[in-house]
Amino acid sequence: MIYSLLVMSSPASGQCALTAARFARGVLERGHSIRRIFFLDAGTGNGSATAIFPQDETDRLQPWVDLAEQHSVELILCIASALKYGMLDGTEARRHEKSAATIHPAFTISGLGQLVDAAASVDRLVTFGG
Amino acid sequence: MSAPGGKRLLVVVRHSPYSSSLARASLDVALAAAAFDQPVSLLFVGDGVLQLQSGQDCDALGVKNLGRLLASLPLYDIEQVFVDAEAAQHYRLDLAAAPLPTRALDRDAMAELIRTHDHLLGF
Amino acid sequence: MTLHTLNASPASAAFADCLRLLAAGDALLLLGDGVYAALEGTEPRRALDASGALLYLLQPDAAAAGVLGRIGSAAVVDMDGFVELSERFVRQLAWY
Repeated sequence: MIYSLLVMSSPASGQCALTAARFARGVLERGHSIRRIFFLDAGTGNGSATAIFPQDETDRLQPWVDLAEQHSVELILCIASALKYGMLDGTEARRHEKSAATIHPAFTISGLGQLVDAAASVDRLVTFGG
Repeated sequence: MSAPGGKRLLVVVRHSPYSSSLARASLDVALAAAAFDQPVSLLFVGDGVLQLQSGQDCDALGVKNLGRLLASLPLYDIEQVFVDAEAAQHYRLDLAAAPLPTRALDRDAMAELIRTHDHLLGF
Repeated sequence: MTLHTLNASPASAAFADCLRLLAAGDALLLLGDGVYAALEGTEPRRALDASGALLYLLQPDAAAAGVLGRIGSAAVVDMDGFVELSERFVRQLAWY
């Protein structure tokens, strides 16, 4: 089957963002494919290249990066949410005259159309929030 | 952009309009679906029904008026708008005065509504 | 049928709203603070049992909460089991 995920959980609070990344890995391990993972609202924080988490805890960024780099899973941050949370790629940083990009290059910033487009074609759409 | 046929999307909204960015996000998702010609329905449950309160005035607060945004949904051909009748009654909501026309559903009808959609987006 | 996921305490409005849309034959997977809704002998657990829905807890979250010995006959699933539930139920609704 083809899956898409919608992630609204913050990496900084609770374990649900971590659960979402592990679920994505589990989907692939059971032989399915993932068309796209869309991050909305506080979920866009998962794309942060500058957030620093305690070293004795599971890394919050690497599981997503691995999905993109090892399994070509598309990671999209909702542009409206990303800007509010200070998640900027090079283009947005320049456009808004900020000093630096803050998102990891494994993530792409785009619009809600990407979520709708994924929902229109996939067999399963699974949401993680809170 | 979308696959032929598409999937029927149901956006389930349980947040009041100004407590959380999720209320606005749910309406933005519905508008995006409509912009891409994807069939989309809305179901307001719990505190989400408070979005249907008439007379919302956000001038003093300085945020986007969600009542006005809701009123615009029919212009984008979003007309499948449902509300949990019990939650509306709980808050003594006057649905006739709501920003847009809705259909009130009992519990069985909401369960049936869910069964007729392919994807559910809970906000 | 629908797979509901609850990531919120049984004292939350999210739990009450979830309970209202939970139909017999649906499945409910508890994660995060949702796992406390399965505590045996509590009112939320009684309500879930009466709903006719199938009840599951996500293992890492239930273990972290320390509740694995207090959930009676409720089923516990790992990540593979979570994915399997998402295969079996054609749609998912997240409550949080």
